[in-house]
Amino acid sequence: MEKLHFSFDTKEPIQKPVHVGVVASGDLEVIFRPTTDTKSDINIVTGSDGFKEVWQNVLDRFFARYPIQANIEINDFGSTPGVVNLRLTQAMEALKDEK
Amino acid sequence: MTKRSWTTNHDAKNSKLENVASMMDGKFVKTENAKELLEDLIAPGDKVVLEGDNQKQASFLSKVLASVDPGKVHDLHMIMSSVSRPEHLDIFETGIASKLDFSFAGPQSTRISQMIADGTMNVGDIHTYLELYARLYVDLIPNVVLVAADKVDRDGNLYTGANTEETPVIVESAAFKDGIVIVQANEIVDEVPRVDIPGDWVDVVVQADQPYQLEPLFTRDPQNITELQILMGMMAIRGIYEKHNVQSVNHGVGFNTAAIELLLPTYGEQLGLKGKIVPNWEVNPTPTLIPAIESGWVKTIHSFGGEVGMENYIAHRPDIFFVGKDGTMRSNRAFGQMAGQYALDMFVGSTLQIDKYGNSSTVTNGRLSGLGGAPNMGSNPTGRRHSTPAWQSLRPDNDPLGKGQKLVVQMVETFGSNKKPVFVDHLDAEEVRKEAKLANVPIMIYSEDTTHIVTEEGIAYLYKTDSMAERQIAIEAVAGVTPVGLRSNPKQLADLRARGIVALPEDIGVHRSEAKRSLLAAQTMDDIVDWSDGLYNPPAKFRSWS
Amino acid sequence: MRTLWIFPGQGGQRPGMLKDVPQDLKLKVKELTGMELTDDGVAYQDSIQIQLGILILQLFNVRQLTQIKEKPEVVAGHSLGIFGAAVAAGVLSEDDAIKIVFLRSTKMKEAYPVGYGMGAIVGLTRKEVTALVKQVNAPDIYVSNQNSELQTALSGSLDGINKVLDLAKENGAQKALILKVPNPSHSPLMQSAADALKEAFKTIELHRPTCTYLTNYNGHAVHTVDEIKKDMINNLIYPVYWDTMMSVASELGIDTTVELEPGHAFTRLIHTKFPDLRNITMSEMGIDDTEFLLKKWRKIND
Repeated sequence: MEKLHFSFDTKEPIQKPVHVGVVASGDLEVIFRPTTDTKSDINIVTGSDGFKEVWQNVLDRFFARYPIQANIEINDFGSTPGVVNLRLTQAMEALKDEK
Repeated sequence: MTKRSWTTNHDAKNSKLENVASMMDGKFVKTENAKELLEDLIAPGDKVVLEGDNQKQASFLSKVLASVDPGKVHDLHMIMSSVSRPEHLDIFETGIASKLDFSFAGPQSTRISQMIADGTMNVGDIHTYLELYARLYVDLIPNVVLVAADKVDRDGNLYTGANTEETPVIVESAAFKDGIVIVQANEIVDEVPRVDIPGDWVDVVVQADQPYQLEPLFTRDPQNITELQILMGMMAIRGIYEKHNVQSVNHGVGFNTAAIELLLPTYGEQLGLKGKIVPNWEVNPTPTLIPAIESGWVKTIHSFGGEVGMENYIAHRPDIFFVGKDGTMRSNRAFGQMAGQYALDMFVGSTLQIDKYGNSSTVTNGRLSGLGGAPNMGSNPTGRRHSTPAWQSLRPDNDPLGKGQKLVVQMVETFGSNKKPVFVDHLDAEEVRKEAKLANVPIMIYSEDTTHIVTEEGIAYLYKTDSMAERQIAIEAVAGVTPVGLRSNPKQLADLRARGIVALPEDIGVHRSEAKRSLLAAQTMDDIVDWSDGLYNPPAKFRSWS
Repeated sequence: MRTLWIFPGQGGQRPGMLKDVPQDLKLKVKELTGMELTDDGVAYQDSIQIQLGILILQLFNVRQLTQIKEKPEVVAGHSLGIFGAAVAAGVLSEDDAIKIVFLRSTKMKEAYPVGYGMGAIVGLTRKEVTALVKQVNAPDIYVSNQNSELQTALSGSLDGINKVLDLAKENGAQKALILKVPNPSHSPLMQSAADALKEAFKTIELHRPTCTYLTNYNGHAVHTVDEIKKDMINNLIYPVYWDTMMSVASELGIDTTVELEPGHAFTRLIHTKFPDLRNITMSEMGIDDTEFLLKKWRKIND
C-alpha cells in the first residue's frame, strides 16, 4: 500500500463532482470534486507500490490534454496505466455531459 | 550393368509391411502390439509426422513412440505442427529423435528452448502452419505418419469429424509417396458416419487405449472481458470494420476479439452496421460468436478445427458452418490457413510485445512458443489481388499501378497484466534467438504487414505512413506512457490526427463512458448457452453450475 | 495423477518444528556431525542448526510419504532443499545427505564473515535487474535466484547490493530489501564451498534417480546421477532458476504439488503461476490429511 500526492497548476474549474470506476481487483475508482484552489491536488491510495513515475506520466499526459481544476481522489487496486487513463477520461466525458 | 530400379521406395514400404504381417489382421493391429509395430515400421533417421496441432493430439501413438527401444528406433526427424505433450520432447532426451521441424510449441515453450540451446535437439525450421504443410510435399516428405481418427470402419475408412484439422494434409503427403500411414482410432465400427479419409490411403489402424487428447482452446468466458477491451472493440468496429467496409475476417484467440464478437449484436446494431460488415468468417467455432450468428450478423464460418462443446450447436446450424451429410462439422486446417492467408479482407489479433517499428512477437522471457498460424493470417501475400472494398481502401491514391493490401490489425493494451510495457524498443524474441541459436528472430507479425495498431489510446493507421520514421511516430502516439509512448508529444499527435494517421476515440465518435460490460451481448457462459437455445454445451471447466 | 514434491530451503524454520521428528534421525545427526539439534529460537540463529534441522524434517516427511506408498513423478528442491529432493529421488542416502549438508553449512559459515549477503527485488524482471547491476558497476554484485518472473535475488557485497536496491526503488520495484542471509549464496563468491563439496562427493555413492529431478542451476529436467551430482556440488555458485523449474514442471504435465516442511512459500508461488494445480502443504495439513487428499484425487483422476 502506497499513498501518493501530485499537484498541477490548472485553470479550468469543474462545477460538479464526478465519480467513476469501481473498487475491484485490477480496477480503480476516481472521484473529481470542485475546488476553490488555483491548482489541482491528486491524492492516490494504491495497492501496488513502486509505480510513482508511471502515475506521474499518466497524470502529466492527462493534465496536458485536460487542464481541469479539481480535487481528485483515486483509490487503486492494481490497475494498469491503460485502465487508469480510461477512468480519468471517462470522468472527463461525465463532466462534459453535465454541461 | 544392372538395370536401375525406379520403385525402391515402393519396395521398401512393401517389405516393411510384410515384416509386420504376422501382427496384422487386415489393416488392424492389437493395442498391445503397437510398440512392436512402431519398432518394425520406423527405421532410424526416418522422417516421421506425429499429428498434434494445438487442439487434437495423436496422444496414444505419441506415448507408444516414446516407449520404443532407442536401440532400434533412433535419430528420427520429427515433423510436428504443434509440440504440446511432454513425450513430444522426451523422445529427444532418449535419443529416439534428434531433429525437429515444427510450427507451434506454446505448451512446451520452456523445455523446447532449453533443448535447442543445449543441443539435445536440432531444429530444421520453425515454420508457420502453411510452410510446414507445404514442405511435406517438397523436401520434408515423410516416411511414416502417425495420426488420430474418431472412428474407423473395417476397410480402414476414417471419420475425423469436426476435428479433421490437419489429418488430410498429413495423410496425403505419405499415402502417395510410399510413406506408411498409421492411425490410432478412438473406436472401430462397422460403418463410419462419413468418410473423411479413404481407407485406401491407410496402411495400419490401432485401437487406442484412450480417446485422443482434445483441448477446448478457443473458448473465452465473457466474464473475463474488461471494459478496456470493450472500448478497444468499439474503436475497432467504428474505426476499422466500418471504415474499411470489411466483409471477411479471422479473429485471433484473445479476449480483445471475443469482445468484438459480443459487441456486434449490440454496439454494431446501434451503428446500423448489420448486414453491411463481416458476413464471412474463417475462424474456429468459438462460442462467443453465437450471439452474432443468432442475431443474423454471421452468414458463413469455415473452421480450422472443432471446439469442444460446440458440436450440437453446429449440427443445428448447417447454413452457417461446413457440415457433412452425417450432420457433423468438417474442419480443415490447411484449407483454413490458406483461406486466412489468401481469401480474407482482415486479420485481427493480439500479441505480447510490439517493438518501436511495429514488429510483434509472443515469444517472451526465454520461452519459445513458436509461430502457429498467425503469421499466415497476419501477413500480406504480395501477389494477391482483390477487388473487395476493404482491400481497395488500402490502395495508395497516387500510384496508378498501386495495389491494395490485406488489413492486419494488432490490438493490445499498452501495458500487460504484469504491468510491463507491451511497446518496447527491442523484442525479447531477439534475445531468445541468441539463446536458442535460431536462424531467424521469431517475429510473429512483421511491421511491413501490420496495417493498424489499436490500443486503449487510439488507432494508428500504419498503412498511411510513408516512411519508417513516420510509422514510428504513429506507433509512439498510441503507445501510452510506455517508454516508447513517452517520446510522443502533443504537437506530433495533433498533426497525426489532422492527417488521419492516428484517431482517438473522440475522433471516431466512440464514447468511453459507453464502454461497459452491459454492452456485451453475453456477459457469462450461461448467457451464451441461452443464446444458443441450449444447444451449446460448455466444457466442465467453463461451467459455474457443476 | 502426476505429482511434484517441493523441498523448500532456508526461511521457513521455526522453534519446535522438529517435535515430531523421530529420535533416530536426531541421533544420526549427533553421530555423524557431533551437532545437538536444540530446535529452539537460539538454535535458529545459527545456519548450521537451521540447515540440518530443515534437512531432517524433510527426511522425516519423505519417510512419511513413502510409508503411505506415495512416490513423486518430479522433485524440486530450492537451494538446501535439493538434498532432501535427492534423497526422495533415491540418489542420496539419508546419512550422506546429513554429512553433506553439515559440510555445506559449515563452509558457508566460514566463507564470508561480514559485509556479504543477499537482497531481493520484487516487481522488476531479471533483465531489468541485470541492467541496474551494470549501472551500479561495483565489485561483487551478482544477480542470483529467480523465484518468479518478477522476484529476483542479488548476492554479493552488501554495500553494492544496497546501491542496486536504492536504484530499483527509483525504477518501479514494488519491494527491494536485504534478506536475512549472512552469505553471498548462489554466486561465484561461494567457489570455496563448491570445491569442498566436490571433494566430499568423491567418496559418496550415488544411485540412479527413480524420478525426474529439476536442477537449480539451469532448470532442466534430468534423469542421471551425473547431472544431479553437478547440481549438488555447484548449487552454491549458481543462481536457483526456480521460476524456470516450475515452468518445466508444468510442461511435464504435473497436476499436483506437495510442499514438504517447513512453510508454504513455494506453494504460494506456484499457485500464482499455475492456479489450476492442486496443492498440498505438509506443514499445514499433516500426513493424515495429505494421505486423504492424495488418495481422493488419485481416485478422481485415474
